[in-house]
Amino acid sequence: MSDFPSSKYARGKIFAKTGLKVGTNYATHYLRSLANGTNDKSALHKKTAEQVFGEFTKLRGTALKIAQSFSIDQGFLPEEFSEVMTQAQYKVPPINRSLVRSIIKRELGQYPEQLFMDFDTQAIAAASIGQVHKATMHDGTKVAVKIQYPGVRDTITSDIALARSLFKRLVSDGPQIDEYIDEVKNTLIHETNYIREGESIDRFHERFSSSEVLTPQWIPDLSTERVLTMTFIEGVHLDEFLSTSPDRERKNHYGQILWNFFHKQIYDHEEIHADTHPGNFLFTPDGKLGVIDFGCVKSFPEEFFMDYLRLLPTHLHRDEPAIKELYYRLGVLKADPDTDEKENQYYQFCMNFGYTFAMPYLENSFDFGDPEYKKLIRGYTKNAPITNEPRGNKHFIYSTRVHLGLYHFLMKLGAKVDTEGSQKVVEDVLSDALNDH
Amino acid sequence: MKKETKLKIKIAEAATGRYIENRRFTIQSLAKELEITPKQIFDLFPNRSSILRYFYESRIVIYREQLSSIKEYSTFTLSEKLNNIFLSLLDQFSEHREFVLLTYREMAGSPVRSSTFEKLFKEAIREIFQSDEQIATSAKILQNRFLYHAIYLQFHGLILFWKNDESHLYENSMALVDKWCALQEEIFYSKIVDKGFDLGKFLYYNSPINFTTSCALTAKRSEA
Repeated sequence: MSDFPSSKYARGKIFAKTGLKVGTNYATHYLRSLANGTNDKSALHKKTAEQVFGEFTKLRGTALKIAQSFSIDQGFLPEEFSEVMTQAQYKVPPINRSLVRSIIKRELGQYPEQLFMDFDTQAIAAASIGQVHKATMHDGTKVAVKIQYPGVRDTITSDIALARSLFKRLVSDGPQIDEYIDEVKNTLIHETNYIREGESIDRFHERFSSSEVLTPQWIPDLSTERVLTMTFIEGVHLDEFLSTSPDRERKNHYGQILWNFFHKQIYDHEEIHADTHPGNFLFTPDGKLGVIDFGCVKSFPEEFFMDYLRLLPTHLHRDEPAIKELYYRLGVLKADPDTDEKENQYYQFCMNFGYTFAMPYLENSFDFGDPEYKKLIRGYTKNAPITNEPRGNKHFIYSTRVHLGLYHFLMKLGAKVDTEGSQKVVEDVLSDALNDH
Repeated sequence: MKKETKLKIKIAEAATGRYIENRRFTIQSLAKELEITPKQIFDLFPNRSSILRYFYESRIVIYREQLSSIKEYSTFTLSEKLNNIFLSLLDQFSEHREFVLLTYREMAGSPVRSSTFEKLFKEAIREIFQSDEQIATSAKILQNRFLYHAIYLQFHGLILFWKNDESHLYENSMALVDKWCALQEEIFYSKIVDKGFDLGKFLYYNSPINFTTSCALTAKRSEA
C-alpha cells in the first residue's frame, strides 16, 4: 500500500473542505511573519546578488547558463537577479552569420546553401549555448538547425570556477554549494552534446508524440555533437499566444495538455524534460502542444524521485512526522527543528511552501489563473532565501525547476486543469515503487 | 567561374597532395593523376612553383565566387564580412592543412617578398571597407594601405594560432576570428570621434570665448 491517501485523498479533503481560501490565509499569515522577521543580512545579500548577477549578464555561454540554472526557482538566492536573468536570456547576441556558415561547413561538410534548399541566416532563437535557424531540406521538409557557439564546451570548466567563487560570496554553506555546482556542470556538459540531445528527441518522440503533443524528429544525417537538425514545429510561444486574447477554453485546453505531459513523464519517470520554461513550448495551429529543446533531460535516481513524489501526499495529509522524515532524507533538514531555531525556520518555510505547492492536488480540478494562488507562490519564491543557504538534495535543482516551471507556465497561461487523473498517476507510481521494494 | 580557372584550381589542389608526398614531384606525375597532358598544365603554369603559389591565389578566387551564393551578403555588417573572408580562407586551408602549414610562410606570408595572394587579400579587404556605409566618417581616415596591411598581418597571426589550435575542428580559431572582427567593427562603427568633432566645430563657431569668432562679430557690428 502506498503512503498516498487511499480513499482519494481522504485526509487531504479535510483540508480541502476549508477550501483554497483558508490555505491562502494560512500561507499568507506565514509569509507575513516571514516578512516581519528581521534579517539583517537580507538587504546586503540582495544588493550583492544584483551586482554579481549583473556581471553575469555581460557574459555569454555557460556562465549565463549557470546563472539561469540557479534562478529564483531554486529558492535559495534572492529574487532580484531572477528578473535580471530573465532579461539576459533574451539579450544574448546571435552568432554572426558568417560564423554560422562556417560552423555548418566544418561540422556537416558543406555550407548551408549547399546542404539546404533554403536556410534562414537570421536565428529564430538565440540562447546561451547556441542558436536555432529555420531551414528547408531539398525534399521540402522544414527543419530547425541548432548551432553551438564555438568553444562553449571548453569554457564550462573556467566558467564553473568563476561561478563557484561568485556563489560562495552569496551563500553561506561552501561545501554544499560545490555539490550543486558540480551537478549543474555535469548537466551543462551533457547539454553541449547534441548527439545526446538528438537521441533524447528520438526517445521523447516515441514516448509522447500523440494527438495532443507534438515533438520534433531528429535528423541524424545532418547532426553532429555541435550541430543538431530536427523537424520544425510551427507554432507560437506563450506570450504570442496570450497576445491573441484566447478564450478560457483554449487556455484550459493547452494547460491540460501540459499538465498531462508532465504527469505522463512522472508515470514512466525514465527521463524528464527538465527545462520547463515558456520558450520550450509551442502552441501549434492544430491545437497541439509542441515540446522542443531536449538538451536538459534528466534521469533522477529512483530513491530521490520517490522521496520527491512522497512529499506530495505527506503534505496533503499534513503528516508532520512523515514530512520531517522525508526532509531529513532529502537533506532539507540537518538538525531537529524542535531544538534548533534556524532549522525550525527552514522547516516551517518548506512545510508551508509544500502545503501551497500541493494545493492543485486537493480537489479534482484547479484554477492556476486564481490571482490569490499566484500571489502565494510568488510570495514563497520571493521569501525563499531565508539565509541564502542552499539546502536539500542536489537533484532538487532540476526537479524544482521542472515543477515550479510547470506551475509558473500554467499561472501565466491562466489555465484551469483537471487534476484528478494526475493524483492517480502519483498514487500509482508510489504504489508500484512500494510493491517493487 | 571560367572553365580555365576551374582547371587551374583543380591542378593546384592536386599539386598540394603531390607536394606532401614528394616535394620534387614532376609535372608528368601530376598530369597523370589528373588524366590530362603535361602540355595542358604547361599552357597554364610555367613551372611547379607557380602551380603551388596559385593554390593560395585561388583561395581568394573561390572566396569571391562564394559571395554570390551567400544569401543577404550585402546586408552583412563589417564584422560579418571580415569574418566571412577569414573563415572562408580558413575553411579552405583546413582542407589542405598539411600543405598550408608547410608552405604558407614561404608562398603566401613572406615578410620580405610580396605575393599575389597578399595583393588579392588586401584588395578584398579594401572592397569590404569601402563598400561599408556604416563606418564612421572619422574612421574613414584610417582606411588606407596601412590598415589593409595590418589586417593582412592579423591573418598571419590567425594562421599561427590555427597551427597550434588543438580544439575540435579548430573551433578556437573560429572563436578568435569572431572576437577579432567584432572588435574591429566596434572600432570602425564607433561615432565617438565624429561626435567629438561635431561638438568641437559647434563650439568653435559659437562659443563666446572663441577669440576669432568674437573678433569677427565685433568687426561686423562696427561695419554695420
